[in-house]
Amino acid sequence: MNNRKTRLKRQILSAGFLVFLLAFPILAQDPNPDSPTPILISEPNSTRALVTPNGNSRRGNVSEIQSGTFLPNSKVVFFVTNLDLMDGEGANAFRVNVESANGRQYRFPVLDIQPVKGREGVYALTIRLKDELGFWEQPLLKGDFLVSVVWRGLASNRVHLTFGKIGKSNLIKDDAGAVPTPMPTSSRKFIRDIEPDSVGYLYSGDRIRFMEQATFGPTSELDTRIRRLGLRTWLAGQFQEPYPTYPYPNNPLMPTGVPSDCDPICKRDFYSLYPLQNWFYQEAFYGDAQLKHRVAWALTELWVVSGFDVSQASWMVSYHQQLSKNAFGNYRDLMYDVTLNPTMGDFLDMVRSTRSSPNENYAREILQLFTIGLFMLNQDGTLQLDANGNPIPTYTQDTVNNFTEVFTGWTRCEVTGATCPNRTVGAPNFKDPMILNQSNHDVTSKTLLNYPNAVNTTIAANQNGATELDQALDNIFYHPNVAPFVSRYLIQQLVTSDPTPAYVGRAAAVFNNNGSNVRGDLKAVVKAILLDPEARGNIKTDPNYGKLREPVQLATNVLRQFDVQSAGGGGQSDGYVNQIISPMGQNMFKSPTVFNYYSPEYIIPGTALNGPEFGILTTGTAIARANFMNTMVFGQVNVSTNAPMGTSIDLSEMQALAAADTTGNRLVDALNTKLMHGTMSAQMKSTILTAVQAVANTNTLLRAQTAIYLTASSSQYQVQR
Amino acid sequence: MTQDRREFIKKSGCALGMLTLATQIEHFGLMSALAQKVDAQGETNAPSDYRALVCIFMQGGNDGNNTVIPNHSDATLSNYADYSAERSARGLAIAQNTLLPIAVPRMNNLTYGLNPNLGTVAGGINNGIHELWAQNKMAIITNAGTLVAPMTRAQYQNGSITKPFQLFSHSDQVSQYQSGRSDTFSFTGWGGRMSDRRTPADNPGGLIPMVTSINGAQLFTAGQTTLPMTIADAGTSLNTVLSPQGFNTSAESQARLAAFHQLRTQDLTTNNYIREASHITDQAIAANSALATFQEVTVTFPGTGIGSQLKQVARLIKKRGDLNINRQIFYVQIGGFDTHNGQVNTQSSLLSQFSQAVRAFYDEMVMQGVSNNVTTFTMSDFSRTLNPAGAGTNVGSDHAWGNHLFVIGGAINGGNFYGVNTSNGTPYPTLVMNGPDDADSGSNARGRWIPTTSVEQYAATLASWYGLNAADMPVVFPNIANFPTTNLGFMQP
Repeated sequence: MNNRKTRLKRQILSAGFLVFLLAFPILAQDPNPDSPTPILISEPNSTRALVTPNGNSRRGNVSEIQSGTFLPNSKVVFFVTNLDLMDGEGANAFRVNVESANGRQYRFPVLDIQPVKGREGVYALTIRLKDELGFWEQPLLKGDFLVSVVWRGLASNRVHLTFGKIGKSNLIKDDAGAVPTPMPTSSRKFIRDIEPDSVGYLYSGDRIRFMEQATFGPTSELDTRIRRLGLRTWLAGQFQEPYPTYPYPNNPLMPTGVPSDCDPICKRDFYSLYPLQNWFYQEAFYGDAQLKHRVAWALTELWVVSGFDVSQASWMVSYHQQLSKNAFGNYRDLMYDVTLNPTMGDFLDMVRSTRSSPNENYAREILQLFTIGLFMLNQDGTLQLDANGNPIPTYTQDTVNNFTEVFTGWTRCEVTGATCPNRTVGAPNFKDPMILNQSNHDVTSKTLLNYPNAVNTTIAANQNGATELDQALDNIFYHPNVAPFVSRYLIQQLVTSDPTPAYVGRAAAVFNNNGSNVRGDLKAVVKAILLDPEARGNIKTDPNYGKLREPVQLATNVLRQFDVQSAGGGGQSDGYVNQIISPMGQNMFKSPTVFNYYSPEYIIPGTALNGPEFGILTTGTAIARANFMNTMVFGQVNVSTNAPMGTSIDLSEMQALAAADTTGNRLVDALNTKLMHGTMSAQMKSTILTAVQAVANTNTLLRAQTAIYLTASSSQYQVQR
Repeated sequence: MTQDRREFIKKSGCALGMLTLATQIEHFGLMSALAQKVDAQGETNAPSDYRALVCIFMQGGNDGNNTVIPNHSDATLSNYADYSAERSARGLAIAQNTLLPIAVPRMNNLTYGLNPNLGTVAGGINNGIHELWAQNKMAIITNAGTLVAPMTRAQYQNGSITKPFQLFSHSDQVSQYQSGRSDTFSFTGWGGRMSDRRTPADNPGGLIPMVTSINGAQLFTAGQTTLPMTIADAGTSLNTVLSPQGFNTSAESQARLAAFHQLRTQDLTTNNYIREASHITDQAIAANSALATFQEVTVTFPGTGIGSQLKQVARLIKKRGDLNINRQIFYVQIGGFDTHNGQVNTQSSLLSQFSQAVRAFYDEMVMQGVSNNVTTFTMSDFSRTLNPAGAGTNVGSDHAWGNHLFVIGGAINGGNFYGVNTSNGTPYPTLVMNGPDDADSGSNARGRWIPTTSVEQYAATLASWYGLNAADMPVVFPNIANFPTTNLGFMQP
C-alpha cells in the first residue's frame, strides 16, 4: 500500500469537509435535545411488569400476554413504549437495571428489541434474567425486584418482577408516585412536537450541560453566545478558532544539568512545569478555543507523559503542541507525531532503543494504552469473547517484541543544518522530531498485529526505519479496536463514565468513516460525541449517567462560573492555581505514571460501577475538594512571587441576588441554574436555604459564600450529569 | 447500613470534632451487617492482641535480579559469575565486592548478596534492613509471582495450564497482585476481602476502617462491603488530614456545617455516582472525628515519600488503642521502579529509600513494643528481564515475571529463603536465558522467570498469621486450592 498517497488523500478529503462546514454554518440547526422517557409496561391494574416467558408471543396477540413467575437465567420479554428510535438503534442502546429487596443492584442483558405487531410504538425487549455485572452472586431463586430500562440516559418507571412465588412479605415498596402503566390498547407511536421556528438554542439546561462537556466550564457570556448561535454553529466556529489564545510559554532548551548560576526563579521558569501549568489554567479560564483546549487535555490524559520524568517546561510544551495540533486532526497523524516527539521518546525510552539493545517500553504502551487496548473489542466497545466466554487478547509478548524492533534506531535531532532548526548546543533537542539512525535500526522482518483485513501484518526485511514506522503505524491504525477504544475514551472524558454500547458504536462508526471515507477524523468524532442524543437533553435521569468531575474540571468550572479574576479583582488571574488543585489528586502535567491519574476502566470499590475519576476520589481527596471550595469561596490565591496577579472569584452577582431577596430563594435558584442546570432537589434547596437564612440578611457576602460553598462542595454538584 | 451512618452523622453534625463524638460515633466494626452475617465461624470475642499487615508496593516492577543476587561460586547453582556474565558487559551487574552478604540455610547455607543500598548508605539515618537478616527479623520469598496454578516451563509453552491474563502488562499484573487472583478480573483486593471477613469480629467498636491506604485508592484495599480510609502521608498531621477547613463555632458556621453534612444524606437514589461520592465523604468525616488527637512517633523517619507514608502508619498504630482497633491492614507505595533505562542510579536510590524507611518503621515498632505484632511485606508489578535493555549509563531492563519479595517483622521466621522449589531443586531460579525457568524461548529469550510460588500462597501465609480462618481462605483467595502448599512457613504461629 502506498502510505504517502493514502495520507495525502485523507488530507485532501479532510480539507474538503472543512470547506463544506465553512460554507454552510448558518444552516446548522439544533433539534430539541430531549428524547422521550421510556415507559415500561405493567399489568393493567398493578405495577408488576407485563412479562412473557415466551419470546414468540411478541408476534402473537398482545392482549393474551400473561405475566407469571420466572426462573433465573430464563429469557423473557418486557414491553416498552414512548421511544423515538433512530435507524439502527437496537438492543445495545438499552440497559435493564434491577434492584433487589436488600438494595443490591444487578443488570440484565438486553438481547433483542422488536416492534410489537399491531401496537405501533410498543417494543418487545428480550432480556435474560441473569446479572451481567457480576459484583454480587446471581439473584436468589425467590424474591421481588424493581426493574427499569434506561435509554439515552433516561430511566423508565420501575416495575416489579418476581422470581418464584410471591408472598406479600417479600414485595419491595413501590417508588413514590408509581402507577400502573398498562399496555396501550392501540397505537402509541411517539410523535415529536413541531419544532418552534426559532433561531438559536433555547434549552437552558442543555446549554449548561453542553458547556460542561465541551469547555472548561460555563460562563454567562458563553451561555449567551451559544443561546444565540446554537450548538452546531458554535462547534463549527470552535473548529476554526485559532489556538492557543494565550501563546505557549516559549522557554529555551536548557542543559540537562541545572547550571550553577541558575537561581530559584531560573529553576522555576526553566526546570519546572510552572510556566506551562500557569499557561494551561489561563487558557482554560479565558481562552477562546475552549473545545480544542478541552480535547487536547483529554489527549494529555490518554497519551500520558509525566512531568516526574519530563523536567523542563520547554520539553512538555513541545509535547503538548503535538496533541493540540492534532486534537481536531487525524488520529493517524497524532500517532505519528507523538511517536517521533522527543519528549515521548524520552519518557517511554524509544529514543534509546537500538538494534543491539532494544527497549520494549513504547512498543507495549502504544498498543495497550494509546490505540487498541488489551482485548479484542466489538465496534460498540464491548468485549469480544471466545467460545469459553473469555476475552481475546489483542497481542502477545511476541507482538510487542516485533514492534520493539520496528521502533529501534530513532534518536534526538542533534545534527547541524536545516534538519534540526531548534538544535541548541549544550542542551538536548526536545523540540524537533526524532530522526532515524538507520545503523541502529533492526532490519530483520517483523510480524505485527493480525486482524480481519489486516494492513501490513508482516514487514519485509532490510527496509528503511522510517518506511517501517509508517507501515507499523498503519498496522495499528487500521486495527478494528482503535475506533471503539478511542471513541469510548473520549465519551468518558467529555460526557459520561459508562456510555451505552450504542453510543460508543455511533461515535466509533464516525471514527471509522467521517462520512467522506476518512478514518480517524477526530473533529468529526468529537462532534458526533457532543451532538449524540445520549449526550444531549436538559435532564438525564438514568442513575448511572454522568461522571465525577475530575479536580481540574471541578476547579475550572466553579472558577469560570464566578468570573475568575486576579486577587481582589480588577484584572485577570495569572493561572497560578495548580498548587491548590493538586491536593485533590491532579498535579497538572505530572501524572504519577503513564497510566494517567486514573484509569478509564476504574471500578468504584463496593460497586460494579465504572467511574474513572473515582480512581482519585478517596477519603483524603474528598475533603480536599471541600477545602478547595473553602479556599476559593472564602479566600483567594494571594499575590506572591509565584503569583504576580493572584486569583479570586467575583461574588458580586450572587451578593446582589442575596440583597434583592432576603429569603435567599433567588440566590439559591441562581446557583441551581448556573451550577446544576436545574437539577437541585427540593430537599437540597431547603437544606441550603436553612444555612443561608442562619446568616443575617444584611451580610450578603456571607450569604452568597455559604450558598456557593454548599452547592459546589456537594456530591450533587461534583457529579457532572 | 450506610444509611444508619448517614443518619448518625446528620444528627451529630454540629458536634463534629468534639471528643465525645468518639464514643458515640457509629463504629466501623458494626458498619458491615453483611460481613457480620457471613462470618461463618460465629465468633463473638475480639482478639486480645494487636496484629497489623503493612503492604509496601514497589510500583513499576522492582528488578529482583539486582535485589537478591548469588554471592557464591557453587557450580551446581546459578552463581555470581553466571549472573555477571549476563549483566556486566552492558553495565547492569552489581559488583560482587559491594554485595551485602546473607547466609541462606535453604540454599545449602550458601551466601547470597543483597543490593548494597539495603545496608548502610551515604547520608542514611539508620543502618538499613540488611542487618535484620542476621537477627532473623527478615525473610525473602524467592521467585514469587502471579499464577493461576503451578506451571512448568513445558506447560507454559504448550498452554496446558491457564496463564495469568496479560503477563508483563503493568496495570494487569499490579491488579493481580492486589486482587490475589490471576484467572480473571476482580472488583476487590485481598486486603479488602480480609477486612470484609474480619472487621466485625476483630474490631468491634473500631472507629476507623480496618484498612488504611496512605497512597490513594488501591484495588488491594477495596472490599465488597467496606471501603478503606485513605489519607495523606505524615506531611499532614493526623488531626487535620481529613478535616474540612473553614468552620468555626459561630452560629452561621455551625449551620453551614450541619447543611454540609445533611446534603450527603440526600439524592442518594437519584444518581449512583452521587451516592458513592457521598459515601466516601461520609467515611472521611467519620474517621476525622476519631483522629482529633494523636501522639508523635519517637524514631526519626527519612523525609522521603515512603518514609513519610510509613511514619503516618506508625502514628496510626500508636493510636490503635484509642481507635479500638485490633487488626489492621495498611497500604503504602514507593514508585519509580519501571527502570527501562538509567536503572543503576534509579534503583539504587529507590532501594535505599525503601530500606531506610522500612528500618525506621521497624525501629519505631520496637519502641512501641509491637514489633512482634506488625509484619511488613513487599509486592511489585513483576521483576525485570535478566537481559538488559540498552547499555552503559542508560542501561535498564524490561518487564518480566517471577520476583523476590521481602517480609520484615518480629513474627517472622527470618534469615531464610521461602517458596516452592524451581526446577533446580531450590527456590532461587536458574539465571539462564532460554534456560529451565525462562518463560521466553529461543535465541531472543530475555530471562523472565516463571514463578514457582504464587501471590496467593504468599498472601495466604500472611493472612493466616493475621487470623483469617481456614474456612475463609477460599473466599478471600478463590484459587488457593490450585496450590498444594497454602502456608509457606515464613510466619511464626
